[in-house]
Amino acid sequence: MRRLLAFVILAASAAALGAQELRLPIKNGSVKFAVIGDSGTGDSHQVSVANELDMYRAKFPFDFVLMMGDNLYTGDSPKDYQRAFERPYKTLLDAGVKFYASLGNHDNPNERLYKAFNMNGERYYTFKPPNSSVRFFALDSNYVDDKQLAWLDKELAASGSDWKICFFHHPLYSSGETHGSAELQRGLLEPIFLKYGVNVVLSGHEHFYERIKPQKGIQYFIVGSSAKLRMGDLRTSDLTAKGWDRGYGFMLIEISGDELFFQEISDKGETIDAGSVRRTGKTEPNPGRSTQPVEQAPPAPRQPVAR
Amino acid sequence: MTRPILYGLLVATLAAVPRAAAPVTQEPAQRTPPSTVPKADTPVGDPRVNQSATALQDFKARVDRYIALRKTAAGSAPSLKQTTNPAEIKAAQGGLAAAIRAARANAQPGDILTPEVQAVFRKALAPELKGHDGEHAKQVLKDDAPPSVPLKVNAPYPEGKPLPTVPSNVLMNLPKLPMELEYRIVGKNLILRDTGADLIVDFMVNAVG
Repeated sequence: MRRLLAFVILAASAAALGAQELRLPIKNGSVKFAVIGDSGTGDSHQVSVANELDMYRAKFPFDFVLMMGDNLYTGDSPKDYQRAFERPYKTLLDAGVKFYASLGNHDNPNERLYKAFNMNGERYYTFKPPNSSVRFFALDSNYVDDKQLAWLDKELAASGSDWKICFFHHPLYSSGETHGSAELQRGLLEPIFLKYGVNVVLSGHEHFYERIKPQKGIQYFIVGSSAKLRMGDLRTSDLTAKGWDRGYGFMLIEISGDELFFQEISDKGETIDAGSVRRTGKTEPNPGRSTQPVEQAPPAPRQPVAR
Repeated sequence: MTRPILYGLLVATLAAVPRAAAPVTQEPAQRTPPSTVPKADTPVGDPRVNQSATALQDFKARVDRYIALRKTAAGSAPSLKQTTNPAEIKAAQGGLAAAIRAARANAQPGDILTPEVQAVFRKALAPELKGHDGEHAKQVLKDDAPPSVPLKVNAPYPEGKPLPTVPSNVLMNLPKLPMELEYRIVGKNLILRDTGADLIVDFMVNAVG
């Protein structure tokens, strides 16, 4: 019996080791970050994703994590912050990893005041990692009004030739049965994205993973299963480049020069999707279309992750 | 009343009303709504137009008065500021809500969203829930709606319940609010919510059909 148990443990460990592989190049000077979405449950699924994030960081030293909203599902008491954020990500927080949050429909907008979310007290904001050519724009897709649109227009106009990555809760393109594409927000945001050459858009809300085929030169990802899962909700469509609704997950991203490498990973450490996109266009604003369209590139070589 | 006329009224009225000294109001729109200029054939003397304009002017004045009251109330509450301690956010939110509640102890439904304002809002919102975008708007409202929210002036928005996303087309057709306030639509009802205090300031039943 003891031998059998030892064999089972050995086999399980070997399987886990086999599942753990990094497909990002880890280039010097690159921007490295993780993406989680719909993460704030405080339950075992959130913890298992958080643990996997910890393990991958040993190999892929990302500096920050983008949060796609629904950061606190159960409320906004100090206990909720502890249970659904501070405890699950304690190792990362202690290591100095910064979290940048956007607001979901389950979030009290006063989360903007919580310093660990790095929102600068605003419902929408922008930041640029030091010594990088990447600028991020966190939007509040729950409440897209004229003021926010004017702010976005102004900030994107000032962002020059940087990579432009927008992140917010509601996906503008989605093959989800429950929610689907946020067409109303898309009608307002997409023209501005195209006007200023936004490269990549990250969202959550749908509780699964989906990589959308580039739309008008913009690469869209949905990363909304970092603690919640809506199994079987993904209705693969013409939009879908790759989708997965069978488990929980998170994403790692690395940007180096004109290339962005991505890897979606399950809470079991398995690679769900990996690849890269390359900026190919001009960098000057050109109203009416994306000026920095992306194209798919072959995946990076595999590298094992030490557990 | 036709939609272009209503758009024109919303824009013209809000532009015409002078700003109060204290409130921070939202920036003027850069996006051009479908039609923001009243048509040349708008009947200037049309009593319906005048009634709507008056109602919206009155709404603006009531919102300004709320903001002034809120500013005074906030003086006696812990300030809402960035912090590493979530307990401080919760305490500041609760303190502000208590101060506003005390300052508006006699507030009644309809104090800000008067029957006249509600009539104008209903006319503005009705077209936005029809057609292709309207179907999406209805779906958004259905998707994110919490099971129920007690409609009560000065009551907190229920903790842990989702805040329904406001369909963008609906939002664009309502008068702009200062940053301290926002619209939310729960089911068929519209709530005027104080964002910092997490408080229901006023509400309107059956705002959307």
